[in-house]
Amino acid sequence: MNTSNAAGAMDPNPTTLNPDDTIGRAADYIMKNRYRNVPVVDENFCYVGMFGVNCLLKQVIPKAVFMRDGLRNVSFIHESFDDLFQRFAEVKDQPISICMSHEIKPVAPDTPLTETMMQLYNTRASIPVVEPGTCKLLGMISYWEIGEKILAAGLTAGENKDA
Amino acid sequence: MHNAHQADVIFGLSPVLFAGSLFVLTYLLIITERLNRAVIAMMAAALMIIGGVLTQEAAVQGVDFNTIGLLTGMMIIVGITRDSGVFQYLAIRSAKVVKGDPWGILVMLMFVTAVLSAMLDNVTTVLLIAPVTLLITDTLKLSAYPYLFAEIFASNIGGTATLIGDPPNIMIGSATGLGYNDFLFNLAPISIFILLVTIIPIYFIWGRHLKADPELIEKVMQYREIDAIKDWALLKKSLLVITLVMFGFIFGHDYGYQPATIAMFGAAILLVLNCLPHNQEKQSELVARALGEVEWITIFFFIGLFILVYGLESTGLLGTVARHVIELTDGDKTVTALSILFVSAVASAIVDNIPFVATMIPLIKNMAASFGGAEELVPIWWSLALGACLGGNGSLVGASANLIVAGFAERSGQPIRFLPFMLMAFPLMLGSVAISAVYVYFRYL
Repeated sequence: MNTSNAAGAMDPNPTTLNPDDTIGRAADYIMKNRYRNVPVVDENFCYVGMFGVNCLLKQVIPKAVFMRDGLRNVSFIHESFDDLFQRFAEVKDQPISICMSHEIKPVAPDTPLTETMMQLYNTRASIPVVEPGTCKLLGMISYWEIGEKILAAGLTAGENKDA
Repeated sequence: MHNAHQADVIFGLSPVLFAGSLFVLTYLLIITERLNRAVIAMMAAALMIIGGVLTQEAAVQGVDFNTIGLLTGMMIIVGITRDSGVFQYLAIRSAKVVKGDPWGILVMLMFVTAVLSAMLDNVTTVLLIAPVTLLITDTLKLSAYPYLFAEIFASNIGGTATLIGDPPNIMIGSATGLGYNDFLFNLAPISIFILLVTIIPIYFIWGRHLKADPELIEKVMQYREIDAIKDWALLKKSLLVITLVMFGFIFGHDYGYQPATIAMFGAAILLVLNCLPHNQEKQSELVARALGEVEWITIFFFIGLFILVYGLESTGLLGTVARHVIELTDGDKTVTALSILFVSAVASAIVDNIPFVATMIPLIKNMAASFGGAEELVPIWWSLALGACLGGNGSLVGASANLIVAGFAERSGQPIRFLPFMLMAFPLMLGSVAISAVYVYFRYL
């Protein structure tokens, strides 16, 4: 495996969600595991989007806030956790497909490492690696994955020097 | 003829045929919405010059810089003022004044929308009011449709009331010399009456069914509108400048100051007040932001249209059409005024009222001699203003503000569909135009 491209930086066995999973179930899952984003794939393991904490936040805050040209200032709204939960309860049985994000663009496995890093920095979220010409999800690249690999490279370099 | 160097033959066509064809093509392209309207208008203006109908100097003469200046100045003032949060404050306050009662909120939001549309512009008003409306209806678990429908009507009716309320009025005022007070005294009374009358069918169609859970009403009452004001210093500066500009509009006309001068002066004062306390870098940021609030698409659309219509007028085609219109109405001013009122209303419901009014202005001016002078045209100008502004209510594409509201409705998951809207709106619009016809007839004819 070429370690200087996206394929070398990805986790090949990422956790995934299905577009038909309910928002309630997905919320439980990402909260329990402290995930920020989880890729959503269909029955053919085709990447269709990302579901994460931003989607959950969107569901519990009034719609008028997040829509284009929405409210710029919301400091006059004073809500409790109960109010937020009521809004969540209204959508928890809906499928995650209604709010998954399509903004995070996948990278190809042969994307050079620097370009992959730049995309990770710009996206500020884990990025999916997808087979070129198809939509098959090959893996995910997270900050942690990359960070661990950079640090491991430092350790290896140190060991080689010592030897 | 405005152009001393007009070509005799353009691409094998006479100037009249070339300009007429270009005009019709431009209109068709604007209606299809395949290309941005500013791009279409700019292309048409360029072709008027390249085709030899106008020289560049003549084209510049055709641009009504009073309209452009007034629009730009007001956009800057409103763009800066909106950052203070005052418009959100007004919307929330109006909901609380009626103790969160759903029907009361609808009426209050209608009034706030109408008043702001009269003082500012329709598009900005609905951009500010619609999100608050969606928040309130979401909280009350009510359909936003009746509220948004009422706000569309209120914005177009409110905009009819003043010189600066709606672009057709700005153009008419600029072309005729009719001032802010003329519009206020002649159009505001009938606009207020039409607004009040419009509330009645809205009540019977939706209002009487609007009910909300007391617990939800309590949530609306818990909004702290005072917290909507983000910047008190900016609010004070903005209100001071808006007040000065209103005084300028009311009294400046007598001293020969055009509305554009007053609006641009007001914008400049507000920019000075806003920039003064900051360093150069921050000043650049604030100025860039304020200028970024100007709807340049609208401004360039106007510029292109003015050149296009000026080119058309320079060929003498509009004069010929005007003579035919007078022949059709037997030179009867009453028939002409009322025909223009209804035709403007129906046309403005179907196509953008800005190009329509831009074309009608020189056409009506050409009728002056037949009616015994420019002063005799005044009832016709009021008919055009009432028809073009109120006609915007006839369909979803009748006014830019309608489309903005429809966009909000779509994004909130409660879309306003073209046909159902028109089935309700068109008869209501015709009713308001019928009231205007009675008003014009008894007051001016």
